[in-house]
Amino acid sequence: MNQYEGMFLLDNQVVRTDYKTAKAVVTDTLKKHGAEIVSARRWDERRLAYPMAGRQRATFMLTYFKAGPNAITGIRRDAELDERILRHLLLKVEEVPATELELSLAEGDDYAPPPPPADDAIDREEPLVGAIGEDGEVIDEDAVPEDVGVSLNDLEEV
Amino acid sequence: MAMKMASKPRAPLVPMGKKRCEDPRIDYKDLIYITKFMTPQAQIQSRRRTSFCAQCQRQLKQAIKRARHLGLLPFVG
Repeated sequence: MNQYEGMFLLDNQVVRTDYKTAKAVVTDTLKKHGAEIVSARRWDERRLAYPMAGRQRATFMLTYFKAGPNAITGIRRDAELDERILRHLLLKVEEVPATELELSLAEGDDYAPPPPPADDAIDREEPLVGAIGEDGEVIDEDAVPEDVGVSLNDLEEV
Repeated sequence: MAMKMASKPRAPLVPMGKKRCEDPRIDYKDLIYITKFMTPQAQIQSRRRTSFCAQCQRQLKQAIKRARHLGLLPFVG
């Protein structure tokens, strides 16, 4: 049995609905392969340096667990296939930091983090200037306004 | 009849008694610390600028690459 550190990026849509479910996504994946979870907590929720799977923000779950070397292959495969996990990083560590156990216990079972901001999806392409009016009407820039006041006939005469 | 020459014992790769240099602050989660050793374009600075030993520079490189993989740091600034 080795000790591992696992960082999982979770989709904020899952976290927004229920944090317990989101945490269970990670813990169930680890338990499925016989890992013994030492600590699991929400590390942070932050904006990503570059979009991943159409998301600009993600929740980071930091876990420490004990598992056999053969279990890691299965955990990696499941994390890759699960769409709720945007990305993961598994590292072998010598020992679990003492602060991690305290922070994990402090989180508790009924911990509810503040809901992630709503701007985690990639911004849509902004509409072309003048293409859509304030009332939602589609404005054709090529169309000549009706009340110009000067007709083509008048221009020819001048 | 050729005589077998006694093979000379090889010197250990890491000299005995010399501890491996490790900076415990170099960690992919400590973004404030590792971004000090990056250029404004998010490139890793050279050893000449960071003044790290070879081992620490390798740890720094690994930490930055891990942070990039997790989307904590950009590949290109």
